[in-house]
Amino acid sequence: MTDLPARLLAGGFAALAASMPASAETVRIAGFGGQDTAVVNGLITEAVGDRIAEAGIEVVYEPIEGDFSQFILNALSAGTAADLFYVDIFWANAVFGADQAAAIADQSVAGDLLPNLAAAFTRDGVLLGIPKDFNSLNVNYNVDVFEEAGVDVPDADDTWDEFERKLAAVSDALDGEVAGICVVPDYARFGPFALATGWEPFDADGRTVLDDDFRRAFAYYTGLTESGAGVVAADVGEGWMGGCMSSEKAATALEGGWMIAHLRDAAPSMVWNSTMMPRDPETGERGNLIFTVAWAVNPASEVQGAAQELAAILTSPEAQQWVLEEGLAIPSRAALADNPWLQGDSVAQVASRNAFEGTSDGAVMPYEFGEYGGAWMEPINSALNAVLLGEQGIDEALADAQAQLDRLTGHDG
Amino acid sequence: MPAIDPRGPLEAAERRAAWLFLAPFLALLGVFFAFAAARTAWFSLTDYDLFSEVRLVGLRNYGDLLADDLFLLALRNSLMFAVVVTAVQTALALVLAVFVNGIRRGRGTARTALYFPSIVSSTVMTLIFIWLFQRRGLVTDAANWAANEGLAILCFALVLVSVQGALVLNARRRYDGVGALDPFFAIFAVLVALVVTVLLRTAQIVPAGGTDEPISWLNTRRTWLGMPVTLWSVAAINVFTTIPLMMLLYLAGLQSIPRDLYEAAEIDGASRVDAFFRITVPLLAPVTFAVVTLGLIGTLQMFDQVAILGNAAPIESRVTLAYYTYYNAFPPGGTPRIGMASAGAITLAALTLLIVFVQRALGISDRAA
Repeated sequence: MTDLPARLLAGGFAALAASMPASAETVRIAGFGGQDTAVVNGLITEAVGDRIAEAGIEVVYEPIEGDFSQFILNALSAGTAADLFYVDIFWANAVFGADQAAAIADQSVAGDLLPNLAAAFTRDGVLLGIPKDFNSLNVNYNVDVFEEAGVDVPDADDTWDEFERKLAAVSDALDGEVAGICVVPDYARFGPFALATGWEPFDADGRTVLDDDFRRAFAYYTGLTESGAGVVAADVGEGWMGGCMSSEKAATALEGGWMIAHLRDAAPSMVWNSTMMPRDPETGERGNLIFTVAWAVNPASEVQGAAQELAAILTSPEAQQWVLEEGLAIPSRAALADNPWLQGDSVAQVASRNAFEGTSDGAVMPYEFGEYGGAWMEPINSALNAVLLGEQGIDEALADAQAQLDRLTGHDG
Repeated sequence: MPAIDPRGPLEAAERRAAWLFLAPFLALLGVFFAFAAARTAWFSLTDYDLFSEVRLVGLRNYGDLLADDLFLLALRNSLMFAVVVTAVQTALALVLAVFVNGIRRGRGTARTALYFPSIVSSTVMTLIFIWLFQRRGLVTDAANWAANEGLAILCFALVLVSVQGALVLNARRRYDGVGALDPFFAIFAVLVALVVTVLLRTAQIVPAGGTDEPISWLNTRRTWLGMPVTLWSVAAINVFTTIPLMMLLYLAGLQSIPRDLYEAAEIDGASRVDAFFRITVPLLAPVTFAVVTLGLIGTLQMFDQVAILGNAAPIESRVTLAYYTYYNAFPPGGTPRIGMASAGAITLAALTLLIVFVQRALGISDRAA
């Protein structure tokens, strides 16, 4: 009998232990700050909070304001990086090339993703990041401005020339008070026009050749200001096309799905819509760039399994469905293209649908330049800038850009 | 007899206290300067990229620097920027200090007002200047106005000089000691010049130009006198924000010059200009050494203001040595090149030391003449 109290005590502890959940594994995740903070918090609490809890994972989210790529490269190098982190396609090569992303545990997920997106995060046949969402460029337009000018709104069948004529007509009808479009010296906006001509950033030898097709696109884009269709964004005190449109300095903007949130905040009463990018009149194709971000698992993570599982949960169909229906981002799963929400007629739905279709219609490439990174764009941006400001002619600017690109790619010998 | 420490027990305690007070600073200096500098020097001899195993490559990074057009451009930009900004800020700081020192009433207010740009964050100031330097911003409007009203400005200046000259010459025939810049005559001359210019301008005898062109101050590849226009704009920002600190240094120096020297010079018949160049400037040599040294170091390390300009300007128009180092450490979208970045940083440090030695060799030293 003397051991009864001890046995009761032991039984009590056992019952208490059984009633408590197993201790959760803590997974640190790091991503962008700003608007993404609300999206990720909503995702891990509302959309898939239950699944995360069932998996026995406790998420610690570290949103980073400022330059995320610098932060994560430093953290990976120092061994302090989060277990799961964002990788933007623009600098993915710096992470993947240094073996700083573990192979995704369930490689079959690649088959569920939009092919262009899966390819962007695959190296040597191995998926190294699960794209969480993406964007491509649309023609966003202010419906009221086009109606006031008595000009047809841009549509998906427009060629470059028709698009330019509409923009010039808007500007003309409104006595230049509203430009057709703001032009920026940035490959991220000019690129789709070059790609639509059939031009490719690198030839078989890895050289960038600014050929006649490129020149044709370059002349069209920089000529938008001369034809009266557009103005240089800096001339109206703006730094990007979206800013011009939301401040009603321009009727259109070539921007992605981020315009939904931007216009909701900056111009909530604006009546606007969007359509696909215009087609090159010679090839009949349109071009586009894909902007995308993936979740990658830190290979040095001590909770590798939990991090892999969390990456799968955060990019699962239900997580992406929630993101889509909240109008927060455009999900990366191919199956969601048939989602009823995407077939709707609200501006967010149309913009998201266009972005979805934009990834597979015409010449589409991810917004990345391999080992050269953003340095590859510098000569092209500089040439665009020089021509738009009237400091150089097209041929002179392109000759300078070609020489700089040859030096960069090692073809100047 | 036991040996006695000639420094005494109190001195030993004082030494310990001194070391204790110095310890935090020495620890910080050791970690954030000595260790960091040594590590940077080591990385400059390797091909380190943050991730791969460190491999010794000898002086290859330094050779690559010399073969890199962007580095040579950064070197040239940095040197020109340092010379221009240091010269202008030193001269203007001295003039402002003399001006503030001469004010009898409201010296504190003037000093506070002039010091204000220095306490505003560099980032905020740069953003304000980006706004001012827009293609259709205030600076463009001012430049277009000056171009359009060039004849009117010339007319105003000619009338002003003529009237002032005539009044001074006339007065000197009757009285002694009338200065060329006599303030009462100057007020009258300005009023006359203003009235004449407005009349001539209204009658269209002095016509105005019709220039209304946007001007690229930041987002351009143009150069002026061998330096990118973008860096001239950054130089304007930098001069504006650094002058106040330099002015305070000069002000402290000016207040330590004995008044007797100026009074003696005045009795000997020296003009104010003579006194400035023969008393003020030589006795301020130690301050000038500090101002020039601080100016050179600050301008050679110019980074924040060009970084904030960001995509507003092409890289070749804004690259300085410090920015080149950063650009290699974190190339946009590319793999870090820490070896090259470290070589750039060490070169910048060596260049800064060299320039300060050259400055001393040229006679700008820390001793009063």
